[in-house]
Amino acid sequence: MECTSLNRRLAWRMRALIAGLILMWLILAGRLIDLQWLHQANYARTARQQRLYVEDIRARPGEIMDRDGRLLAMTVSTQSLFINPSRLQTPWKTAQQLATALGGNADQLFARFDLHADKQFLWVQRRLTDAQARRVRALKLPGDVWGFRNEYLRQYPQGPLAAHVLGLRDIDGNGRGGVEQSLDRDIRGLDGKRVMDRDARGHVLQVRDEVDAMPADGRSVRLTIDSVIQLFAERELDDVMQTWKPRSCAAIVLDPRNGEILAMASRPGFDPNRPAVDSDHAWKNTAVAAVYEPGSTLKPCIVAWALQQDRIQSSESLDCENGAYRMGRRLLHDHHPYGRLSIEDILVKSSNIGMAKIGERLGNEGLYRSITRFGFGQRTGIRLAEELRGMVRPLKQWNAYSTGSVPMGQEIAVTPLQLIVAHAALANGGTLIRPRLVMHSQNPSGQTVDRVSTFCVKPAVANWVVRQAMQGVIQRGTGRKAQIAGVAMFGKTGTAQKIDPATGRYSATRHVCSFVCGAPADAPRVMVLLVVDEPSVGAPHFGGTVAAPGASRILENALARTPRTSPSLQTARK
Amino acid sequence: MFFLGTVAQLAWIGGDMYFRFGSAVLLVLAISLVGIVLEKRNLELRRRLTRQHYQTAVLLEKHAKLRLKTQRLGAPQRVLKALPPGQLDQRPARDLPPASIRSGPLLPWQRQLPGPVHGSP
Repeated sequence: MECTSLNRRLAWRMRALIAGLILMWLILAGRLIDLQWLHQANYARTARQQRLYVEDIRARPGEIMDRDGRLLAMTVSTQSLFINPSRLQTPWKTAQQLATALGGNADQLFARFDLHADKQFLWVQRRLTDAQARRVRALKLPGDVWGFRNEYLRQYPQGPLAAHVLGLRDIDGNGRGGVEQSLDRDIRGLDGKRVMDRDARGHVLQVRDEVDAMPADGRSVRLTIDSVIQLFAERELDDVMQTWKPRSCAAIVLDPRNGEILAMASRPGFDPNRPAVDSDHAWKNTAVAAVYEPGSTLKPCIVAWALQQDRIQSSESLDCENGAYRMGRRLLHDHHPYGRLSIEDILVKSSNIGMAKIGERLGNEGLYRSITRFGFGQRTGIRLAEELRGMVRPLKQWNAYSTGSVPMGQEIAVTPLQLIVAHAALANGGTLIRPRLVMHSQNPSGQTVDRVSTFCVKPAVANWVVRQAMQGVIQRGTGRKAQIAGVAMFGKTGTAQKIDPATGRYSATRHVCSFVCGAPADAPRVMVLLVVDEPSVGAPHFGGTVAAPGASRILENALARTPRTSPSLQTARK
Repeated sequence: MFFLGTVAQLAWIGGDMYFRFGSAVLLVLAISLVGIVLEKRNLELRRRLTRQHYQTAVLLEKHAKLRLKTQRLGAPQRVLKALPPGQLDQRPARDLPPASIRSGPLLPWQRQLPGPVHGSP
């Protein structure tokens, strides 16, 4: 009996042992299935992440040059200093040493080390100068505590010249404002990637031969800007700022034959090499990102359209009512009382009453068409992200006041660029050309591929307005102060009242003074627009006194630098 | 001669087996030595290639920094301030410099972006 009982116990133990072994193998098999089948992808990904280190290879951004190849923006390599705070043995001593080498504050540096003591990476300072990098190396800090990383630094060798046109690149290499932003995709290039194997502690074992993606450096861009003309324009703006103390001012120099912007400047300005120094207001490119009522500078466009539509004849004259004219409930005034004035003299004397009568002949619909025909109320198409479209209200919102206001440049708001482009259409014989900052792209056969132009008015009409009326403005009208000896030039002054925010009415003391001019009158090759917003000292504040002298000096210098036949026109003819 | 004589003597004394074994060992050894020489040469070439890449990058960087310096020194803003009006030749440059400083890399290891280049001369 005892033997049987012992055998049974042994048999039961054997079965239990076998069952236990089977269970154990089942558990192991289950775990194996879990590892190799159910979660295989996750574990493989984790292992790969731990083993491989992917480093970005930054593409070098392209250069920006002016039309003569002068560098306006370029990129150099600099070193940025980082430390591993978790491995710092003597943080206070390190902070003192680094502060001495970098010229910083040891207390602030120590506070940062202390705050991020558990981290393994901390930027100490990015984009060091060569001298700073040498001093840091001379400290001979422990190798596992610190390191340099190469980073690109955008430099603007011409300093603040054309800063608004260029914009800048921020610390992460993104284009901000100007060409840097609008052509960011072309200029920044494509970053590459490099794969490295590393050990359990994160040390790099080897750089793999194969590169996942090779970097492609950014393209270089050649602008239409002429640095010397740009400099003349900016110096004139500085003079205007000093003499008249306005809120802001802007100047544009343009070749009316092909729409190339030779200079575009705004004040206040900033230095893209030291962007943090200047105020927020200084960042605004008022040449394209500010709107104002154009005042009398709009009149040549309205007259040209009225001539084009045969609503007036260039030989006729209109009664200017001796300086006071009632339009419905509104009484219009001229600066000086005039009797009958020819169409030419209406522009030369800048008569508001004469223009109101032309407005009556065109009607609101005709006025609206004239404004849109010259490109107002829509972006010019220049490649600047900050460009505004101006303000032209829908026709259904126009009323009887509009018939008198619009012809004298009220009730619409334009950017300085829109205004000079509209005048360039008159200067080049009636073609509205899209302005451009980047030299033309050419196809393999050398033909220009991105020139955009639309018919605006007949050449005969445009030539009459420029060579008769606008030349008369300079010879005997409101733009006499802009005369240049030996140069047949044309132009138009503008003095627009601003709305007083306190009363909601036009202010008697706040003005936008502007002057648009060009030369030579028989074959214009340069146009200049100078806009001065709210001059605050000196008097009187008219376009002819505030803006005209500076604009004519810019024009004189620009004419000396501009060839009679532009290179791009030569190419187009070929 | 001595070596070959010894081998022949061994073959005559010990038979074919030793001869075959020795020949195989020698063959493997020779192949290994050639492999090591080729590997060393390959590594040396790779080292030289890497050094050239590095030197090219350093030289390009130096070139860029010197170019930046010359452009700063020759900026119209600086030059026109120093000269009295009328003394500076204001004619635009006739021969335009190349559009990119990286026009002739030693090793064309970077890909090109597709599409036209803006303002290429």
